[in-house]
Amino acid sequence: MTIKLYDYSLSGSCYKVRLLLHFLDLHYEKQQIDFYPGRQHKSLDFLQINPLGQIPALEDDGLQLRDAQAILCHLANKYDGSGRWLPRDERHFGAVMMWVMFAGGELMSASAARLHDALGYKLDINAARASAHAAFRILDDHMTLREIEGAKWIVGDHPTIADIACFPYVALSGDGGIGHEDYPALRNWMRNFRRLPRFHAMSGVPEYV
Amino acid sequence: MSLEQDRWTGVGLDRQVQAASSNPVILDGQALALWRGEDGPVRVWEDRCPHRGMRLSFGFVRGDTLRCIYHGWAYRTDGQCVEIPAHPDLAPPKTICANSYPAESRYGIVWTNLSGAGSAALPDFGADEGWEPVRSIYVDRPASVVREALHSFDFGDVSEVRMNGGSAALVRVRSGLEILFAVQPVSDGKTALHAVAKGQGVAGRRADLARRLERLRATIERA
Amino acid sequence: MAVTTDSVALNEWVPCGWLGQVPLGGQMDTVIFGQKISITRSDDDCYRVETLPEDGSSGRQLPVQTRYCCIFTTLGEAKRPLPEIAEFDEPDRRVTGCGSVGVNTSPYRLVENFLDMAHFSFIHTDILGAPDRTEVLAYKTEHRKDVDEIWAIDCTFYQPAASKASATGQMTQYVYRVMSPFSVMLYKNVHCDPTRNDAICVFIQPKGETECLAYMPMAIVDENSSTADLIDFQQSIFLQDRVILENQRPALLPLDPTYELPTRADASSIAYRRWLKAMNIKFGIYEKQAA
Repeated sequence: MTIKLYDYSLSGSCYKVRLLLHFLDLHYEKQQIDFYPGRQHKSLDFLQINPLGQIPALEDDGLQLRDAQAILCHLANKYDGSGRWLPRDERHFGAVMMWVMFAGGELMSASAARLHDALGYKLDINAARASAHAAFRILDDHMTLREIEGAKWIVGDHPTIADIACFPYVALSGDGGIGHEDYPALRNWMRNFRRLPRFHAMSGVPEYV
Repeated sequence: MSLEQDRWTGVGLDRQVQAASSNPVILDGQALALWRGEDGPVRVWEDRCPHRGMRLSFGFVRGDTLRCIYHGWAYRTDGQCVEIPAHPDLAPPKTICANSYPAESRYGIVWTNLSGAGSAALPDFGADEGWEPVRSIYVDRPASVVREALHSFDFGDVSEVRMNGGSAALVRVRSGLEILFAVQPVSDGKTALHAVAKGQGVAGRRADLARRLERLRATIERA
Repeated sequence: MAVTTDSVALNEWVPCGWLGQVPLGGQMDTVIFGQKISITRSDDDCYRVETLPEDGSSGRQLPVQTRYCCIFTTLGEAKRPLPEIAEFDEPDRRVTGCGSVGVNTSPYRLVENFLDMAHFSFIHTDILGAPDRTEVLAYKTEHRKDVDEIWAIDCTFYQPAASKASATGQMTQYVYRVMSPFSVMLYKNVHCDPTRNDAICVFIQPKGETECLAYMPMAIVDENSSTADLIDFQQSIFLQDRVILENQRPALLPLDPTYELPTRADASSIAYRRWLKAMNIKFGIYEKQAA
């Protein structure tokens, strides 16, 4: 039984999945997708793997999955014996899912800004940055309250897939011209995350903490 | 010679600057790095490595040195470069020195003065003890608008709002609560407020007050 | 964005697109030196480039060359030809472009970063440099007056994973070559064959003084890696550098040697800055405000 990840190193969404695979110490096979300039994710071959034409996609024991958030849920559900990355108790499960959805929704404006600046995507860059700032503010407000409670993570007292899902596009936002100056609680949270055992960086996230 | 005004401005909450961290701050359009060694006070430096201009707020801390992320050049707390990893046996020349600004912690707020060795006094609101950090909050409005709003916002039964030269405001509530705001102009259209509070049971009210400041920000930005 | 009047900059060939970017029979707008231009492709390798004046009047047709996976043009009177890079003509080479990547800084910051070995251990950790082997050994720089290029030779650096094909660490031998203010390349020894070098280039399209597109064509010796892997490796390296490039202050390049303090490892950057100063280029250069 092997896990196969359709991957592009520069994708923050693929990075979410690589992070969890690494935290869980899971072996997997990587299939590199020439996302840019090749647009291989829009090729007929790849559309049979994910008809939405998006990466990441994951194959696991006959199961074919798309959407980074869904893949995080699947991996945590299946492989995390400790239950910490996706807590099932009623106080935490809903909150984790809420921030996981936020990562796949509102935070993706930061991804759009990055695609515009680095890879020349045609889109309204001012609107993308403004939406990203609005989303960052919501997460920073939340993490400010968490700091006051003496907590370090988005939900609970252990990092969860909510932290994994939110981390990449907050950390990579500078690539899209979105700075971290206004978000002291996000800076502290990101630093804590980067100091986790088994954390690994990607291009755009400095290796040294 | 610096053309900056001789004035102390709050640029962050002391407790929110983690040990072994470097942080970006913009004050009046000037990029600063706020950093703290593995222990010791917060330093305020120009956000620029003298070597190749890299922002030092991206740097990392080892012991009591701040290291530039680009080439790992290490700077001691007085700004002096003490190590150049590309040349491990070289003693860095004295001329390689990061540009630092005065930094003081008072009331739980980190203050700096961009004019350098100025003669202005730190804002004085009495004894340093008893202040609890609330939060820093960034408002997308000019400092003049934000200062004005501090006079009219509903913090409860306000008895007095005392300004200190535009860079700080003390709001007194009749219940005995005091909220001190340091006002940091970021750019023409953006202002940061760094808030601390004092009074009976204030440690247990920090979350309430932080949420109150979210309302303050929304109120100012909607006006 | 105003069009630059700096003839030194205008007289250089610069890339304005990559081969395959403009569809057959299609058209694309872009900008060089603040000047909007239009690229039309009528046939496989048949491109027409012309200026698009702001006032809507008809444009001026510009010279075009296609090479090294890129479309090149110039707004002025080109003083030097496109560089000759023989490796791109060797039949067994993997010749790959990597599209273009946008970088908000001056073109010279990109060139300097490409010439720099001292950042490998910090920015390309465990790939092009190891945290415990940071030393940059002495190397030579020269201004080759016959071709008016800057070269850095005898460069060596320990690399844990020098290329996609590398399985183990190696002392990598580098030769660097600055062919114009806006183009630079390196030759580095190939893991499997000591007699040959990979050739990796960066050609820069300056859209404005602090806004660039970087093109990274390469001609490498590697029978095994997939094209997707080769591109992924090169882009991963470049996006590690991009964070640095966009956060250097000022973004414009200061030529005053007291404003940014170099050390021995920066010999190539020093030679490059002197060369820029001697050619009196003004575009994208930082002029310190009078105190």
